[in-house]
Amino acid sequence: MYRLEYIIRRLIMAIAVLISVSIVTFFIARVVPSDPAAAWVGSHPTEEQVAQARETLGLDRPLYEQYFRYMQGVLHGDLGKSVKTHQPISTDLKTFFPATLELVLVSMLIAIVFGIPLGVFSGAGKGSLLDHTTRLLAIAGVSIPTFWLGLILQLIFFGRLGFLPLNGRISTEIALYDPISQMTGFYLIDSAITGNWVAFKDALLHIILPAFTLATYPLGLTIRMTRSTMIEVLNEKYILAARVAGISERAILFILALKNAIIPTITVLGLSFVYSLTGAILVEVVFSWPGLGTYVTNAVLSIDFPVIVSVTLLVTVFYVFINLFLDLAQAMIDPRVTL
Amino acid sequence: MKHKLFGLVGLLVLLMLVASCATAAPAAPAPTAEKEPAATSQPAEVQPTEEPASAAKENVFIYGHPTTFPDLDPAISFSNDSAVISNCYETLTFYNPPNSAEILSPVLATSWEANDDATEWTFHLREGVKFQDGTPFNAQAVKYSIEKTMELGMGAAYIWDPVETIEVVDDNTVKFTLSYAAPLDLIASSGYGAWIYSPTAYEAHDTEWLNEGHCVGTGPYSIESRARGSRLVMTRNDDYWGGWHEGQFDKIVFEISEDPVVLQQMIEGGTVDFTYNIPPDNLASLSTRDDLVVYSNPSFQNLLGLLNTQKAPLDNKLVRQALSYSFPYAQFIEGVMNGRAIQAHGPVPAGMWGHSDDLFQYHYDLDKAKELLTEAGYPDGGFDLLYTFATGDMDEQQVGEVWKADLAKLGIDLEVRGMTWESQWNLAKSGPENAQDIFAFYWWPDYVSPYSFLYNMFHSEDEIMFNLGYYRNPEYDNLIDEANALSGTDRAKASEMFIQAQKTLVDDAAAIFFYDVANTHIARADIQGYADNPAYPHVVFVHQLTRK
Repeated sequence: MYRLEYIIRRLIMAIAVLISVSIVTFFIARVVPSDPAAAWVGSHPTEEQVAQARETLGLDRPLYEQYFRYMQGVLHGDLGKSVKTHQPISTDLKTFFPATLELVLVSMLIAIVFGIPLGVFSGAGKGSLLDHTTRLLAIAGVSIPTFWLGLILQLIFFGRLGFLPLNGRISTEIALYDPISQMTGFYLIDSAITGNWVAFKDALLHIILPAFTLATYPLGLTIRMTRSTMIEVLNEKYILAARVAGISERAILFILALKNAIIPTITVLGLSFVYSLTGAILVEVVFSWPGLGTYVTNAVLSIDFPVIVSVTLLVTVFYVFINLFLDLAQAMIDPRVTL
Repeated sequence: MKHKLFGLVGLLVLLMLVASCATAAPAAPAPTAEKEPAATSQPAEVQPTEEPASAAKENVFIYGHPTTFPDLDPAISFSNDSAVISNCYETLTFYNPPNSAEILSPVLATSWEANDDATEWTFHLREGVKFQDGTPFNAQAVKYSIEKTMELGMGAAYIWDPVETIEVVDDNTVKFTLSYAAPLDLIASSGYGAWIYSPTAYEAHDTEWLNEGHCVGTGPYSIESRARGSRLVMTRNDDYWGGWHEGQFDKIVFEISEDPVVLQQMIEGGTVDFTYNIPPDNLASLSTRDDLVVYSNPSFQNLLGLLNTQKAPLDNKLVRQALSYSFPYAQFIEGVMNGRAIQAHGPVPAGMWGHSDDLFQYHYDLDKAKELLTEAGYPDGGFDLLYTFATGDMDEQQVGEVWKADLAKLGIDLEVRGMTWESQWNLAKSGPENAQDIFAFYWWPDYVSPYSFLYNMFHSEDEIMFNLGYYRNPEYDNLIDEANALSGTDRAKASEMFIQAQKTLVDDAAAIFFYDVANTHIARADIQGYADNPAYPHVVFVHQLTRK
């Protein structure tokens, strides 16, 4: 019962957050000194073209009316058109969003799969060689600038060794002769579903370097978080009791201790996931990954306000729902949260 | 829990292993069979599961492109999309590269003539040409395309402003009547807004359809597919009227990467055949390589400092001349631009008709500047100037910073302020008393005519658009208007008059003519037939190329 009420409360808050974010972003984007009509018509416009664009875009109407017109469109699934490229934003997002999502998900997978066990062992063997090495790795992970790491990895794995591709999501020849049929926009999934294994292998090779580069930060964070909470939890009396009861060390670590130690890690990972959706810009540029980060950064640079507002809304939706999901997950693991 | 976790780790390790083993095959470079395999140690080719043999033999030209293509609608596009559009659509006439015998050559029009006052133009069209959708190319299609472009009024549509009516004389002849004299043959060669497209297809579809990756021109290539933001593939149009011969490319692939360093690695590693926009400091190391060719050519784009001629102290011609002597042109071009520019002779770039190398060129001479300032009544300077540039443009910024140091020696304090382009523009339009003193300003022509430079930046305007230095000189206005009217019928005379007008501007020091931008392109050494054409910036006409 508590839980249902809790969910409803959170959903209402989520809607309130979305509305406020849309208002704030829309008005900030429109108040900064820029002329969307001039952006719409390009570099050498005539006065008539600018005037016509102002009318077409509805910029001659009062600001609040522009906002309501825009939001009306959004509710009907029409995010408007970019003033810089004239492309419908929803079409753009269909391309750029899955690309980023795929990259971020793979990097999160790397962070979880490597980060949690390393954090657990490091915490359990506090002061050991493994612990020191892992801590060093974790610190490096959170402090190395990603664009630098990306370039270095490219130099080594593409430039010197020739093991891995330089950039992009798929190589030219696969795109020409074994193209992936677009279904979900996730190349790994689309190629696997259609049994296009040549393309799958190629897409997998392409995602390794960018995903690893993007994973370093959440990986470092996961290790550090898991390690410190593990150390705390392992000092609890129930762990001592379990040891006395003769439960195997692995079971103690990965079942009894981890269950309590993992909550802060999940929260941090969730936030880091949402951050990466638009924060992966440097990795995206270095690896020519056609993602949301590059898309929105270009929009910000050219004050392309419909794009800025749309992407902000999209990311907010994700942020709110991931948070909601995390809270529910926590509530499941630890029912005290709902109180 | 334990088992699941270890299972996951195991799976990932397995995937990594598969990956590292698999690299023996396609990995990165060597995109085509013809490509030299030197870039990778593996000669192994990808053997696609189906129809491999014929496909792998295709001759593919790969262009590493630094920007995406915002607009593939030929009626609207006014940007970098020309790289794609000009391989698919064609114009009536073509502007030849500098130093060609003729300024224009025929494309879809085989010949053309004008009446004596250049207000009626007749174009005779090429016969037997078809659009890629099968629609025949004829006078009706020309009339439709240009009228449609004018009606939409977007992008560069204004180049057709002089056109009053378009008349279909017969299937292969079209006649334009103008409301005032204009060089319609030059206008028809523009790289923006002058493309001829299929009326049937354009009526049936909209801009979005074109942007999905379709094109409906008469050109040698059509768009096969487009992955937004990352890749665009064009494939050859077998029915192209210009025909095909051995060694030409079957496909063009545009690989998009916005990172200059990555573009450099792509061209070095051989994953692309052609690119530009790599870090200028690294060009020297590229030009020493045997497998690459670096092409550096003057473009038709120049950088000027528009001077606010109606606000003190720059309303004084002597002060403007003093400023013109205070910029270290040669040192800047050598030291900062690394040769990516040449000092301008006046406002019309080198290589364009109507340009003259005999025009007076200011040089760096602080003593002369000081002398002029003394004569103007500012022996010790003692005034401030505001220089604005577009934020993010490193070259414009560095011009300001370098200049600031020299102006300080004359007692002039230069404020170097970065602004977004639009706010810079709005400030400049806000009236001479509020506007900045110096506006760092690029210009490039839509269709190639000195008038584009001389009119837009310096012709008197009642409502200011681009004459952002508020220059006013009725004599000059008359001279260039008259020259423009002549430029359709007597280009030699027009050219002379344009040069005369530039002398006035240079003497008046209406702007600082910093430099003409040089474009640098890098190609793999086995690409043959490439020639830079500044009239169509960064465009590669792939139909003209072959691989050695």
